[in-house]
Amino acid sequence: MTCHIYTHKETSHISSPREGPLTGLKIVVQPNMSVTGWPTNAGSRALNGYVALEDATVVKRLRSGGATLVGSARMSELGFGLGGDTLAEACSGDEVTVGLITDTMGEARIASAVSGMFGYKPSFGIISRLGMIGLIPSMESCGIVGKHLENVIAVAEVIAGFDENDFSMADEPLPDLGESMKSLRIPSTVGVIEECHRMLNESEKNVFKAGITKLKDKGFKIKELSFENFELFRAVHNVIGSVEASSSSGKYDGVRYGHRAASDKNWNDMYLKTRGESFGTLIKSYLFQGAYFQFENYPSFEDACRIRGGLVRKMSRLLETVDVIALPTRRLMFDATNATTIAETYEAFSFTVPANVTGQPSLSIPRFASDSTGDVGLQILGEHKSDVRLLALGMELSSIVKGV
Amino acid sequence: MRYEAVIGLEIHVQLNTITKLFCDCPNSPGDEPNKNTCPTCLWLPGALPRLSADALEKATLACLALNCTIQPESAFDQKVYYYPDLPKGYQLSQHHKPLARNGWIDIIGEDGELKRLRIHHVHMEEDVARLVHETEGKTPISLVDFNRAGAPLIEIVSEPDLRSPHDAIEYVKALRTQLRYTGSAECSMEQGTLRVDANISMRPVGSDAFNTKVEVKNMNSIRNVAEAIAYEIKRQTESIEKGEPIVLHTRLWDPDKRVTLPMREKFSGPCVPDPSVPRIVVTPDWLDKIQMRLPEMPMQKANRFLKDYGLTPEEAAGMSQERDMSEFFEEVVRKGLPVRRVASWIVTHLMPALRDRNQTIRETTITTNRFAELLTMLESGVINAHAAKEVLLQLLSDDQSPEEIVEKGSLRQVSDTAELEGLIDKILADHPSDVEEYRQGNAKIMGFFMGLAMKASQGKANPKLLKEILTKRLG
Repeated sequence: MTCHIYTHKETSHISSPREGPLTGLKIVVQPNMSVTGWPTNAGSRALNGYVALEDATVVKRLRSGGATLVGSARMSELGFGLGGDTLAEACSGDEVTVGLITDTMGEARIASAVSGMFGYKPSFGIISRLGMIGLIPSMESCGIVGKHLENVIAVAEVIAGFDENDFSMADEPLPDLGESMKSLRIPSTVGVIEECHRMLNESEKNVFKAGITKLKDKGFKIKELSFENFELFRAVHNVIGSVEASSSSGKYDGVRYGHRAASDKNWNDMYLKTRGESFGTLIKSYLFQGAYFQFENYPSFEDACRIRGGLVRKMSRLLETVDVIALPTRRLMFDATNATTIAETYEAFSFTVPANVTGQPSLSIPRFASDSTGDVGLQILGEHKSDVRLLALGMELSSIVKGV
Repeated sequence: MRYEAVIGLEIHVQLNTITKLFCDCPNSPGDEPNKNTCPTCLWLPGALPRLSADALEKATLACLALNCTIQPESAFDQKVYYYPDLPKGYQLSQHHKPLARNGWIDIIGEDGELKRLRIHHVHMEEDVARLVHETEGKTPISLVDFNRAGAPLIEIVSEPDLRSPHDAIEYVKALRTQLRYTGSAECSMEQGTLRVDANISMRPVGSDAFNTKVEVKNMNSIRNVAEAIAYEIKRQTESIEKGEPIVLHTRLWDPDKRVTLPMREKFSGPCVPDPSVPRIVVTPDWLDKIQMRLPEMPMQKANRFLKDYGLTPEEAAGMSQERDMSEFFEEVVRKGLPVRRVASWIVTHLMPALRDRNQTIRETTITTNRFAELLTMLESGVINAHAAKEVLLQLLSDDQSPEEIVEKGSLRQVSDTAELEGLIDKILADHPSDVEEYRQGNAKIMGFFMGLAMKASQGKANPKLLKEILTKRLG
């Protein structure tokens, strides 16, 4: 069964879910998360009719944690941006408690900020990517979205942790989120980046400042930081992201699954027609751009890789002076769901791409950096693998929100 | 003007690991098509590569055998190109950070002198699928067999130190010997587990320029490598003499016409660091462990055979060429048989027999025990050399004991003087003119009588005794 929200909806829950920490939680995923037997087209005609053969590691863990898988919502093509994405809509109703959405450039955080929910992008390498049809392998994580942070954390606790089949994960145990949080010192120093403010327009600036003021009022120490060339995050994500996307989408040739164009000439002609017909305009231009850097302008890609290293180090240094960094999650001026070009897309994701570039954990909190003109979302970023502290701070701030 | 060739070889060797490079599928490309496949080697959406520890270890062992320096850090890149044998659009290979660099191999050059050929680097990569072109009715179709997709390869890239077909033959042979010794690879050109591409350019003798090169592929034997290079040297020299420019391109060796034919412009796609396979960081401890697994290599072994067993340089080299054979030799010697006898029987009888059968010693039924038993019977005069050769051939194909074979074939040596005397007397009586000739001083006639007598005894006569009797009777 499909509708405007779901591409697939599970109607028959053959066996009742197991007893576990997630019993009673209803989860929606995207059609890029492998669930055995579900159509898994990753939002693209290039995967038309592809049905997952096996559960993703994340899905296996959800099942054994007792969660109910409700279905998969519509997603942007191959998960680039949020065009046509319905996951947040699915989560805002009563039917679903938590949604899983691949955070490639900030999708989990922006989708939740737009709809008044919590959006969490875990540290790179703490949640298995096996069975998740990705686009930009070095930047993406399985993001978690929900109205209640407790549920988001509960799901994170079950799905995070080493998977011997995902070699990009570090072989080290993850602390028990729930337990560690209780005994943790809640971070108290929050850094704000001067250069970010300059990228905002007046009304966005005011909304974000309202959030910072709230933090101050609650006793948090605010520290002004400078991050020169902050806009480089966007450029680096754009160059490296498009190159990785071009590579990882090379497999969509229409031979084994997906749309296949008729061709009476030869295989090369068939490939060209198939890919030409399969991809939509936005992703096509992104893949083109990636191929351009691969074939025609490799030095720029190398520059981007080098600059990425510099940005990671710089971010680490800043986080030695504060507990977390606060950023707005989204722009009010740019609607991520309506972006039709690469430039518009990156404009809308300006403040979320840094965590994807560096691999840091990041959490977007609703109704905090907000006023009558809107909610930009309060995005907090912590050091790599400091997810527990970040989520603990999130809980603290969420109680403030509830108290307001 | 005289020209010399500048030749570099790129050699792909398939490692003999149990599984493929990035998944647990059997590394057995010859099986029924598409039997050994999984989401990873088919690159279905959502699959992830998992680097095989075994492949990394075997690759490292191979690099050590080629005197390379293992790099503290190496990493996989995506070699981007689109072709039906590579449906994910890129080959995982090590371009920017190869596993090992700066190796060498020694050969004997054409002038008889030792020549050191340098190896630029060795990197790991995955093999691609195999395409099968057929017709369905009248429509040509291409089928893809993924059994080979993801099989572990190493590519050994030489420096352009080679100058002749001779160098190429010796380089490939030496490299094959070294790699087989490590047990990491079979290195059979016929079976495609060792593939050679040659880059060839020409320059005036005395120049140290590197001119435009031509790549030649598709040689499936060492002889073909040498012939293709010789052909290409001639072809390029003629072009240069005619004033035609050499263009960078790839040519295919045509084994039937024995010529190289142009295939395409030399293609080199981009190489992008792969984000999914973690980089390889080699620790000294790990490297020590691999180093310990490196066996005594053929050169050292030959030297030891020379010193410890008093073999000739030829015997020592022959005996150490293949690891299995060298171990076989030492085990037989340890059973107390005379070294030179063992060595000469291996070199002159066992090895040629294996070559005739196109088998390795492991593929036959012979064991060191049965071989030693055979030589013992020969030593003690139970059988003669002629019979021993016959027994040896049987030892290779069934598992009867040498004793059984001798009894069943009545191959026991005849050392009965009376029997041999009777036999000789009859021959001498039948050939009075030859007897006369011998007595006139033609000593060669002795060989003729020996041959007749041996034949009359059905090859079983004790040759020593035979000669004694003949000498007595003729003298």
